[in-house]
Amino acid sequence: MIPILFGVTLLTFMLFNIFGGDPAQRFAGKHATTEQVQSIRVELGLDRSLPEQYLFFVKQIVTADYGRSWASKQLISTMISDGLSATISLTAPAFFASIFFCIALALFAVWGRGTILDRGTVVVCLALLSISSLVYILGLQYLLAFQGGIFPISGWDPSWTGRWEYLYLPWIILFVLSLGPNILIYRTVIMDEVFQDYVRTARAKGIAEYKVYAKHVLKNAMIPIITVIVIEMPFLITGSVLIENFFGIPGLGGTLIKALNDSDFPTIKAFTVISALVYMIFNLLADVLYSLVDPRVKLG
Amino acid sequence: MNHEIVPQLGRQFRPRPASATFLQVLLAGAVAIALAITGCTKKRFDENDTTLNLVLRANVKGLDPISANDQYSATVISQMYEGLLQYNYLKRPFALEPKLADGMPVISKDGLTYTFKIKKGVRFHDNAAFKDGKGREITAEDFVFSWKRLADPRNVSDGFWIFDGKIKGLNEWASAVKAEKANYDTPVEGLTVVDSHTLAIKLNGVYHQLGYVLAMPFSAVVAREAVEKYAKEFLNNPVGTGPFMLEKSSDWVRNSKITLKKNPSFRTDPYPAEGAAGDSEKGLLADAGKQMPFAEKLVFSEIVEDQPRWQNGLKGNFDWFEIPKDNFEGAVKENQIAPELSAKAMSLDITPGLDVTYIAFNLLDPVLGKNKLLRQAMSKAFDTNTYIKKFLNSRGISAQGPIPPGIDGNDPTYKNPNAQFDVVAAKALLAKAGFPDGKGLPELVYEGLSDSTARQGAEYFTQQMAAIGIKVRISSNTWPQFQDKIKNQKAQIFGIAWGADYPDAQNFFQLFYSKNKSPGPNDTSYNSPEFDKIYVASLALAPGSERTKLYLKLRDIVAEDSPWIFNAHRLGYKVVHGWVQNFKWTEVGYDYPKYIRIDAKKRSELGAKL
Repeated sequence: MIPILFGVTLLTFMLFNIFGGDPAQRFAGKHATTEQVQSIRVELGLDRSLPEQYLFFVKQIVTADYGRSWASKQLISTMISDGLSATISLTAPAFFASIFFCIALALFAVWGRGTILDRGTVVVCLALLSISSLVYILGLQYLLAFQGGIFPISGWDPSWTGRWEYLYLPWIILFVLSLGPNILIYRTVIMDEVFQDYVRTARAKGIAEYKVYAKHVLKNAMIPIITVIVIEMPFLITGSVLIENFFGIPGLGGTLIKALNDSDFPTIKAFTVISALVYMIFNLLADVLYSLVDPRVKLG
Repeated sequence: MNHEIVPQLGRQFRPRPASATFLQVLLAGAVAIALAITGCTKKRFDENDTTLNLVLRANVKGLDPISANDQYSATVISQMYEGLLQYNYLKRPFALEPKLADGMPVISKDGLTYTFKIKKGVRFHDNAAFKDGKGREITAEDFVFSWKRLADPRNVSDGFWIFDGKIKGLNEWASAVKAEKANYDTPVEGLTVVDSHTLAIKLNGVYHQLGYVLAMPFSAVVAREAVEKYAKEFLNNPVGTGPFMLEKSSDWVRNSKITLKKNPSFRTDPYPAEGAAGDSEKGLLADAGKQMPFAEKLVFSEIVEDQPRWQNGLKGNFDWFEIPKDNFEGAVKENQIAPELSAKAMSLDITPGLDVTYIAFNLLDPVLGKNKLLRQAMSKAFDTNTYIKKFLNSRGISAQGPIPPGIDGNDPTYKNPNAQFDVVAAKALLAKAGFPDGKGLPELVYEGLSDSTARQGAEYFTQQMAAIGIKVRISSNTWPQFQDKIKNQKAQIFGIAWGADYPDAQNFFQLFYSKNKSPGPNDTSYNSPEFDKIYVASLALAPGSERTKLYLKLRDIVAEDSPWIFNAHRLGYKVVHGWVQNFKWTEVGYDYPKYIRIDAKKRSELGAKL
């Protein structure tokens, strides 16, 4: 993990210094003089050599203290904890509901492969996949919130009891958005399994069809399914910028985009490291899960 | 792939149809959930609720006046913090009047000393920073502390420009602080506390814009106790003197919503009794003399996307709101509000924005910098009227110079000879510049942003230039890259805008002053000794006909030299609900919410139908 983290931090540092512009000029404002820009450069630590700046970055990772945002001067730890709560509330329910629903539907589709159910599922999934996410967001927000009045158009309540009413519609949209790609992937994965010899053997033994699917096919398909889920899991943290922006949900995605637009390097650094850690942790989790679903896989 | 054999095998394993009972349960569940959700939606407006609901297009960064560098943060900050002066809410052209000052300042004959009397009995918001939690009375010393804070280099404020080099000894104090040779108790020669409620400001030179900058949120008064108590968290714990206050920190939900409550100990501050011509007829003086603020509560919602902002506005969730580009056609018919909105008691407010959009030339560029005729040709080849129609839904006025309407120095009858679209004349100028039909002219590069609107604008520019034979390549950038290129003079041509900090043409002409070159506001590196001489002379003059003459000369010089292609002065279009009273949009004052009165009963009635 450490070499990966080292690589990620080095790459982030290099990219920021190449493409990040001059934050001092940005924060000095439109009336700045050369002296003021230089003064800000000193305050931000940008006058130090690049190796020194990188070592400072490493120190921030080790101490988990990224200080304050250059743009908003807010504590980055607070920005992340505030945003994380909103993002997880937004993404987690839709994400997990989608996994269960899509696996179930993919199983049904494979079970009835070649039938109208299967073909219809594939066609609908491809159609869902072909439409821009903006269409779902704008369309459903207009129809269900603005015209229908079923949901609030946008908004947020940070309390745990008050936030849900603002999340129903974003959940529905996230759920719908995930259907196309997820069902198609899971269907392919499960389809690969149903023609394996062990499935034929199970059937030859007279095991009920639902048991063949539930106990054998699904279990063996779990390794690629877990891989797909793990790849998607960082989405839980990074959230969905579009959904956040359209529904006024103060999540991490919007915070990251603002940081990129503002050349707010401390915030970008914190996000990069956290994202890298999340990826690595979920990969590790995947390895553990592999061993649980398939005894042949051993953790070394 | 296994998919290929699916049809043959599929027939053997058809799924069993779901039972009717299961479907019924599923349907009933869906209906129950829908009903539960519908039941959760908020009720409409209470007829006793005077809350003012406002919307911001971007997120508020912090609530410290020295960081009020964007209009959204400045708007919220200005409800809680106040300075010595303010703009009269109703008068046009804009006029300054006292806010925390007790009358306008006494100015010495040489114009170098301003003496302010400060209103007595004005108190900071009640806060734990004070003894017993009770806000104390403001004094002249508070202003000295606040302005030192603005100058303190450790605070990295981009608002210090308002005093930079202007107040005697303030820059020296800042340098000494940086060198750790001074602190906040070290006196500054130009900031003298005459008595507890009298402050004298001594200037290094004549600064006629001082009044304007003292109306900006950067110069608002803060309490030393609060700054010391909250230290770096002061930006989240505002303690000012304004009509509204952040009652508890949880009232600010970052990147979402800020709720401010009426300051119970706000001083006597009556609604203005005088306004501009026609204000009385519009009912804008009906509340003359009544104590402000009228709203018990302010709610600022931060929504960055156009459509939810628009939809919430139409539903009455915001008391007024802007019209997105995509909704303009449906909302405005022949410059009037659409009948379907009018039927819901909504009205249209059109106010000129104090800004100018322009396409700038880098005058250090070897091709563009030394060839005035080439710049003039490009200026004449650019059709601003079509640009305004296509990209601004006609919400703009063709700019003839840098000064927007409503500011001294703007002559509405003036026609800049180089800003009149004329392809034939542009071609003739191009030939005179040494590039007949563009021959011999290398490909030029237009730097723009990467969003679709900016990209379309850039395409429009390249088409206009192609019409006279000039080839232009578009370079798309992120905002940091774009700024970097401009500030380091790496951008050859770039499209940008300037919004007024205060209603004085000097704020626009400074963009051409050679000593303000990048990283200062003169991004084109324009350098004209003649312009500089007149600009410096204009700085020494108080507002009046003599100064106006100089402003017109400055305008003529930049019109002739064409360092910019003058594009548009934008117009602000807002939809205002029928329950909003005393609405008069202002581009320079941020404290407008205190003047607005909500007719709560009317909102309750009208809101129910939205």
